[in-house]
Amino acid sequence: MTDSNSLSKLEQLAGPRQDYSFGFLDAYAKRELRRRILKSIAIPGYQVPYASRELPIARGWGTGGLQITLSLVGPESVVKVIDQGADDSVNAANLRRFITRMSGAATTTDTLKANLLQSRHRIPEEVMRQGQVLILQVPDPEPLRGVEASITRAREMHADADYGQLWLVLYEQLVRYKQYIQGASYPVLVNGRYVMSPSPIPRWDTPKLHQAAQLTLLSAGREKRLYAVPPYTDVYPLEFSDVPFQVEDQRAWADLKTGVKNKFMNEIPLENGGSAYEVSDTGYHDKLLARMKGEDTEFEIGPTYFDDDGNFYYDGYLKHDSG
Amino acid sequence: MAYVAAKGGEAAIQQAEKLFHALKGQVTRATVKQIEETLPYLVDRVMGEGSLYSPELAALAIAQAGGDLYEAVLLLRAYRSTQPRIAYAVPVLPGDMLTVRRISAAFKDIPGGQVLGPTLDYSHRVLNLGILDGRQSTEDQAFEPADHAAPRSYPAVADWQRGQGLMAALPPREDPDPADIPDITSDTLLFPASREHRLQALARADTGGVLALGYASMRGYGLIHPTVNELRLAHADVQVKHPVTGATFSAGRVRVSQAEVVTTGGSEKDGLTIGFAATLGWNEVKLIAASTLDMEMGQPEPNPHHTDEFVMYHTEPIEASGFCIHFKLPHYVTFASSLDNLRKVISTFYSSDKKNGQAGEPSDTALESIRQATP
Repeated sequence: MTDSNSLSKLEQLAGPRQDYSFGFLDAYAKRELRRRILKSIAIPGYQVPYASRELPIARGWGTGGLQITLSLVGPESVVKVIDQGADDSVNAANLRRFITRMSGAATTTDTLKANLLQSRHRIPEEVMRQGQVLILQVPDPEPLRGVEASITRAREMHADADYGQLWLVLYEQLVRYKQYIQGASYPVLVNGRYVMSPSPIPRWDTPKLHQAAQLTLLSAGREKRLYAVPPYTDVYPLEFSDVPFQVEDQRAWADLKTGVKNKFMNEIPLENGGSAYEVSDTGYHDKLLARMKGEDTEFEIGPTYFDDDGNFYYDGYLKHDSG
Repeated sequence: MAYVAAKGGEAAIQQAEKLFHALKGQVTRATVKQIEETLPYLVDRVMGEGSLYSPELAALAIAQAGGDLYEAVLLLRAYRSTQPRIAYAVPVLPGDMLTVRRISAAFKDIPGGQVLGPTLDYSHRVLNLGILDGRQSTEDQAFEPADHAAPRSYPAVADWQRGQGLMAALPPREDPDPADIPDITSDTLLFPASREHRLQALARADTGGVLALGYASMRGYGLIHPTVNELRLAHADVQVKHPVTGATFSAGRVRVSQAEVVTTGGSEKDGLTIGFAATLGWNEVKLIAASTLDMEMGQPEPNPHHTDEFVMYHTEPIEASGFCIHFKLPHYVTFASSLDNLRKVISTFYSSDKKNGQAGEPSDTALESIRQATP
C-alpha cells in the first residue's frame, strides 16, 4: 500500500465535518434500536434494555419515544405527535418539528392518516388499525418500582413472574378505600406472562391495548428500557375477579363545543367554581368541530373505542363499562 | 390554557426561545473565546460531564445556554452522540501523565514529592473589590517559577504501597484492544455494572450529584473515612494507533484529573481498600467524592449508595436534570385519572347521605396516603 493510499484512507476515516445523519441517529444506534425492538416484539411486555443515545431534547421529555420514532421514520412516513392527547401542546409541537427537520416526514393531526403516532400519556379515541405503529413515551417502565426500587431485584421478580406484591397492593387499596386507587399507569398483564406499565395513560386508554390491531412500542429513554405490545396480543389490567377494573367515570361530562360524551375529557376549572369539559384528543375533536361546520370533505371520522353511550368496542372485555 | 394553547404551540415555543436569547448578552466568537480562557474550571466541569473534550465547544455550549450548566452539558452530549468513533486511544498510565499538581494526604512526603501546582485551597476567599474599581488587576500577580523545572511525571503512591505489601498486587495487565473495553455510551447498562461502566459513569457524573452522595457517605451514611492517597491534575497525550502503519502517535493533549482514596476498613488480608476516579478536565471535588463512591458501591452495608444502580442512575446529570424539569410539562391527563379516584373515595366516605358510610371515615393519614398515591 502506498503512502498516498494510506493518506486518503485516513481522510476517509476522519471525514469532513458534516451535518446530522438522516433521522439524527447514526447507523449504529439505529441498528441497535431496531434489534431491540424486534426482541421486544418477540417477548411481549418484556423490558429490553438498550443503550439510549443522548438527543438534543431534554431527558424525560420523550427521548425514549423519540429514539424509536427516529429509528423507524422514513421520508414516506406520516407522523402524528400528541402530548396528553393534544397535537399542539408545546412539547408535542417541538418533537414534531424535530422529527420532520431530521427526516422530512409528513405530519398530520389525523389519527387515521398517521402511520407513526408518538404519544405522551394518551391513546387516541379512534380505533387504530393494522399497519400503524403507536409509540408511547414512558417515564418509568417498571411496574414493580412501587414495591421494589432496585432494578436488579425487579428483573428477578419478572423472571420468576413473582407479582404477588402487586396483588397485595391492590388488595390493600380495596381494604382501605373499597376500590382500586391506581390512577394512570394501571399495571397490565401482557400475553399472560409479563406485568407491564402501559405508561401513564389514563385507565380509559388501558383496555385499548387488548387485542389491538396496531403495534405498540413503549420506550423510556432515561431509564433505557423499551418494550412492546405486538398486534393482537392479550392485555388485561390486574383485577380481582369480584372487583372489576374501572375506567374513569366521566359519563356525565359533555364536551363544551360539540356536546359529545363518553370520550376522555379534560376538566377545565371555571371562575364560578364549576367545570367545563373538552375532548382530550384534539385531532378527533377538530374533526368533530369541522363536521359540525360542514367542512368534512377532507377526512373521515373513524369508529371510536368507546361509542357515544360509553360501550367499549370489544364486547365483554370491560366487566364495568365506563364507570 | 396558557401553555397548552389550542392552537399556536409551535409559534409560542419559537418566540419563547427567542426571548430567552434576547434577555442575555449576544454570543460571539469573542465571548466564547473569553469563556474558554477565563473560566477554564467551568469549561472543564462541562467537558467532564458532557464527556466530550473540546474547550471550544464547551465554551460555546456555556455561552449558548446562558450559563445554565445542565443545558450546556446536554448540548455537548447531544452533539457528542452524533459523532463517529474514528479511533480508540491507548490507555493512559499515571506515570505517563504530564503532572502539574499531585498531592497525597496519606504521607507527609511521598516518592517524587508533594507538588502543589495551581490551587485556591490556601487562598483567603475575599472578594477582590479593587477589580471593580479598576484599581488592581489579577494579571500582575505573576507567579515565580521554581529554580529547577519539575519532573514531567511522577511515580504512583499506590505502587509504593503495593511494594510495601499494604495493598493487594495489581492483577496481571491484560492490554485489551481498546475497542473491546465496555463503553457506557453505546452499551446496554445492566446491574451489577462492570467496573468499566462504573468508572465511566463516575467520570461523566454530575459534580453536584456525586458530591451530595459522596458527602453523605463521608459524613455518616457509610463506613468509610476516605484518605486521599493521591490526587492529580495533569495533561495527558491522547495516543492513537495509526490505522495503516500501526504506529502510535499523539493526537493532542487533554487536561485530566484523577483521584485515589484509600481506607483501612476493608479486609486485613488485602490491606488497603482503594477507590479510584478519573475524568476529563480538572475537577478535584468531584473526583474525591467519586472515588469514595467507587469504593462504597461494592460495600454490603444497607446505605443506598452501596449499590451501583443507586449511584449511577442518580448522578447522571442530563437524566436527573431532564426528569426534574419534565415536571413542567402538562400532566393533566394523569392528574385527572387520579382525581377520579380521589372523588370516588371522598363520595364513598364523606357523602352527606352516608349511605355508603358503614366503613367509617378514613383518618387524616389515610387521606394523606391517597394524595401521595396520586402521581
